[in-house]
Amino acid sequence: MKKMIADIVGFLVLGSLAAPAFAAPASPVTLKGDVKLEKTIVENGISKQTLTDPKVVVPGDRLLFSTAYRNGGAAPVEHFVVTNPLPSAVTLAPESAASLEVSVDGGKSWGSLAKMTVADGKGGRRGAQAADVTHVRWTLATIAPGASGAVQYHAIVR
Amino acid sequence: MERAKTRIAASSLALATLFWAGSAHATGVTAGTLIENTASATYTSGASGGSITSNTVTVKVDELLDVAVAGLTTTPEPISSTNAVLVYSVTNTGNGNEAFNLTANPTVTGNKFDGNIVSIAIDTNKNGVYDAGDVIVTQGGASPSIAPDSSVQVLVIVSVPQGVTDGEQSQVRLIAAAATGTGTAGTVFSGQGQGGGDAVVGTSTAQANALDALVASVATVALAKTAVIDDQFGGHQPVPGATVTYTMVASVSGSGKAENLHVTDVIPTGTTYKANSLKLGGTALTDVADGDAGVGSASGIDVGLGAIDGGQSRTVNFQVTIN
Repeated sequence: MKKMIADIVGFLVLGSLAAPAFAAPASPVTLKGDVKLEKTIVENGISKQTLTDPKVVVPGDRLLFSTAYRNGGAAPVEHFVVTNPLPSAVTLAPESAASLEVSVDGGKSWGSLAKMTVADGKGGRRGAQAADVTHVRWTLATIAPGASGAVQYHAIVR
Repeated sequence: MERAKTRIAASSLALATLFWAGSAHATGVTAGTLIENTASATYTSGASGGSITSNTVTVKVDELLDVAVAGLTTTPEPISSTNAVLVYSVTNTGNGNEAFNLTANPTVTGNKFDGNIVSIAIDTNKNGVYDAGDVIVTQGGASPSIAPDSSVQVLVIVSVPQGVTDGEQSQVRLIAAAATGTGTAGTVFSGQGQGGGDAVVGTSTAQANALDALVASVATVALAKTAVIDDQFGGHQPVPGATVTYTMVASVSGSGKAENLHVTDVIPTGTTYKANSLKLGGTALTDVADGDAGVGSASGIDVGLGAIDGGQSRTVNFQVTIN
């Protein structure tokens, strides 16, 4: 029994040491996801937006998902396309639905929501709604070496 | 404590605004659901291309405590010596499985009378009738767990109090309160939500109520007794040997019915009951206790009329001889 534990420990140490050797070549770009809870607080008749770490989240709440990128390499990064499948428990908020490039068919076709249609369940087609969006994406032509930024979308918990 | 109170008040204001905005969703995502977001990117760098995936951010959906109650008894339910059954629906408009404490309150402003709550029951087969299989809930006790967006039908069985006048109306309020807790919108019950998250009070305050109406349908019985004397000489003098015919008319009024109604009388002193003279509605009744409705003897008479609807009357006759 004692020997077995020793073996496992030995394996784990080996594993952690060995991991870097199998990793793909380091990407020049890094992505870091984050989420905030968006609230509208009305104080003395004036409403203002706040962003906080989501502690209590219920249906109807608004979330701001962001993905920060950074080009840590020495060369420019081009044709940078960030694709974000929407979690099924959220729907795209109206302001993001109006401005972002979206897909309503699982990422097969892309465009602006206003031009898209989906099956209406009665054999025909109907105009796509924000709730039909399955993916959003952003396209950046170039990220200069050392440059960074973030893309984000607003969502509402279904 | 003072500080904590202030914080809750401030956050409830914010949540109230948000819930209003999101009220288009009936119940929403089930409590405990994990919202996981991951982005990925493709790019080219020089001659080579690459791809990268972000970390996954996860948010757990907490339990929203909301409820709606509706009265399903559309016209005032008649209440008489027979108990009234009032029907309500309790709908879980939150997003987690939740039991609701049920209270029936017969005291409502404007009531002409307050009914007596006999019992509260879950109408398991939703037929609006208290029958086999319906489950009794103690006053203030918890309903079975109700799934999000589902409802149960609740029966409140009410008996009529004393001294009620026919046609008077009353109401009974059914209150349903989330078993986890109630409060102002935004109140948080830490760690008590379904799926391990928190439970949060929604715009309904996690408590709702509705009224159903009752109308008293009771009967009033009036008894009128008259006597006619026929003497053996063809006249109407109360002389020994004369026959006295007593007529008693029981008149029932009101929208209800008089149940188990009996007309009884004693034979007056100085007279003798005339055997087999008892009649109901002109039809003779035998003196012995048997299949017919009446019994007659030297001490008195008793005629059982059963249940008589309001607006009807029954006539009982019997004769005595003056000693």
